[in-house]
This record gives sequence, C-alpha cells and structure tokens, in this order.
Amino acid sequence: MEAFAYSNSPYPIRPDLPQAYREAWRQLAHAGTWWTGEERVAIAQEVRNAADCELCGLRKAALSPFAPQAADHLVSTNLPADVIDVVHRLTTDPSRLTESWLNDVTVGELTKPHYVEIISVVVTTLCIDSFHRALGFELEPLPEPVPGSPSQYLPQGLETDTSWVPMIGQLAEAEADLWSPQRSANVIRAMSVVPDAVRLLKLLSSAQYVQMHEVPDARADGGRAIDRAQIEFIAARVSAINDCFY
Amino acid sequence: MLLRVNSELNNNETDLAAITEGAEVASGVPQGELLSQLVETTLKPAEYPAEAAIQVRQDICDQLGAAALVDACAVIGNFMRMVRIADGTGIPLDKQVAVISADLREELGYDQFGSAGLTPRVGRLARWLGRKARPLIIKRLAKMARATDKTG
Repeated sequence: MEAFAYSNSPYPIRPDLPQAYREAWRQLAHAGTWWTGEERVAIAQEVRNAADCELCGLRKAALSPFAPQAADHLVSTNLPADVIDVVHRLTTDPSRLTESWLNDVTVGELTKPHYVEIISVVVTTLCIDSFHRALGFELEPLPEPVPGSPSQYLPQGLETDTSWVPMIGQLAEAEADLWSPQRSANVIRAMSVVPDAVRLLKLLSSAQYVQMHEVPDARADGGRAIDRAQIEFIAARVSAINDCFY
Repeated sequence: MLLRVNSELNNNETDLAAITEGAEVASGVPQGELLSQLVETTLKPAEYPAEAAIQVRQDICDQLGAAALVDACAVIGNFMRMVRIADGTGIPLDKQVAVISADLREELGYDQFGSAGLTPRVGRLARWLGRKARPLIIKRLAKMARATDKTG
C-alpha cells in the first residue's frame, strides 16, 4: 500500500502534505550525503525510540542534561552508541545542547557534516510523526532502506563564524536554488553544509507552514484554513514549550 | 515575532503572554485557547488524558472546520522541526530580528532560555533604534516577500 494514503482519515488531508511526506520517506530510505539509507532509517527509528526512553526521561528532568544517570537508552538499532546518544538528545532535549558538547561528540568518524545530516533525519521524522500524533493517527511505518553509498558532497563557500556548524555564506551556482539572493534567515542556512537537507526542509515547510517566499510577509496565510495570526500563535506556542529562543 | 507583526499590521489586540502562559490566557487570536490546547495535548500527552486530545480536535473541527485542524497540526509538525534545527546548530537570531524583538523577548522571558546566550545582547541604543525602525522594517520585509522569486 502507498505510504501516507490517509484513506481512513476522518479529516480532509491536503494532497500536498502526503506528497511532501512521501518524498521525505523516499529520501530517507536512500543514501544521503554522509549516511547510507540503512543508517538513515535506523536514525529515524531511534527518534521514535527516544519518545519512550528512560534515560532521556531522567535527563530531561535533571538539572543538568549531562549528569550521569542510572539508566540506558531504549535502543533497537545497531547504530554506534555516540550516534544514538546524539539522536536521542536532539529529539528529547534540544534546547540544552551546547557547543562544547557538540565539539566533544564530533570527533573521529562523526564529523559536523555527519551531525547536520543527523539533524535533518531527526527533524524530518519528528515533523511528520508530530503531525500524525496531533491528529491522533498511527505513525507511518518507516521505509525499507535502499542500498547505496553516501555522496560525501561538500558545498563551496562554507563559513564557520555564525553557528556551531559550517554554513554556506556565499551561494555557488550548484546551490543557487537554496535561497534567494538576499541572504536567507539563519534557520534556513543552518543545515546548508548538507544542501539536500535544506531542499527537504523547504519542501516540508512549504506543505506544513507557508511557502518560503511568504514567510517574511506576516499577513500571508498560504491559502490555509487558519489565518496567519493563528499559524504564528501555534508556532510560537510550540517554540515556547520546547524552550526555543530562536 | 511574526505574530506581533501580524497583530500590528492588522491592528489586532493580541496578548502575547498566551505564548508562554498557555490556554489560561486569552490571546486575542481567534480560537487561540483551543489552538493552544491542541499544542499542549500533542506535546505533553502525559499531562492530559487521551480524551482531552480527542475533545480538542473535535472542538476545533466544530468551530474552525476539519481543514483548519489539519493545517494546525501541520504547523505543529513544522515547528517541532524548526526548534531542533535552531537549537541543534546553535544559530543566533538574525541581527535585524534580534534588534526589533529585544523588548518582546525580555517581556516574555525568552532571555531565560538556554539558547538565548547564542544571540548577543542588544544594547539600549539599539533597542531604541529597533523600536523606532520596527514599522519600516516590517514594511520592508513584506515588500521583500512580495518581490522574492516564488522558488526562493
């Protein structure tokens, strides 16, 4: 059966939503820039495990997220332990991550571009799963991985002085589609060391929020059934509950 | 930030405390309390009985329509993503936004969030300039949005 069919949905699902989700699932199953399809699907599985993880629950309640806890992560994949820890922290307690933590974990084979692609897989899974949870739907089964090797593509024009990870400063021709010539918001540029992560973000945002070019126009509602004030109120409330300053 | 801009552009009275305080504060946003309950029952399921989530979905369908419920749930999904991109990469607020939103962030207590330290503090002079320049910046942002390539 086709993924995201929503055939039993009691609510009318706009077609651009399942279209975007199916494309996200297709990309999730294939090798990305730094991880294989099998690894990417495993990362997505760990996002789901983190929701019921005892260690993540103890850490979330602790004064410091880095204090030792007498519990283990709930794990069902064979990803390396450091990768599992990164995935679970990004999923359950992102507002207390620090640059020094990131510098400690991105040593050896887990590089910052690897880390950025982990973020991309985590947020792709979570944004679709959250949509399902909000509607009271079962989660969509994860896709079957497709064999293949990561491209290890690095874009030109990377800068390291804005955030914890490299980001594109000046766009080269190969990435000209990522944002308009006027500089884009940091949150769009944030994952640009993995350009396909930005492309997928734009696709999903355009379906779940409003089109990228409409974002700065605070009255544009993208033709949704709720107006822009309602959209921004929900956005702000989600950010506040997540303790997100940005 | 965009909520305040929307509120100013439309001359609406919006109580932004509802962003941090939740459904107990009347936001002034149409059906804001219901939308806030939808967010809370989705993001904090352990704090609410399952029936609460079912009821709030039904109430939104009754008052705004089923398509509105779907759009609201999509926005929840979208921002579960955006907060993790921001916090996971350690980006600061964009300079223009930091200046014009400084007062609001202080008022809502956002400066207490862990990731607030990533954005340099906005000085008094810049805050004053931000207040004065805000209407112009808002107009410029809207103009930029209209002029931007549709693929942008």
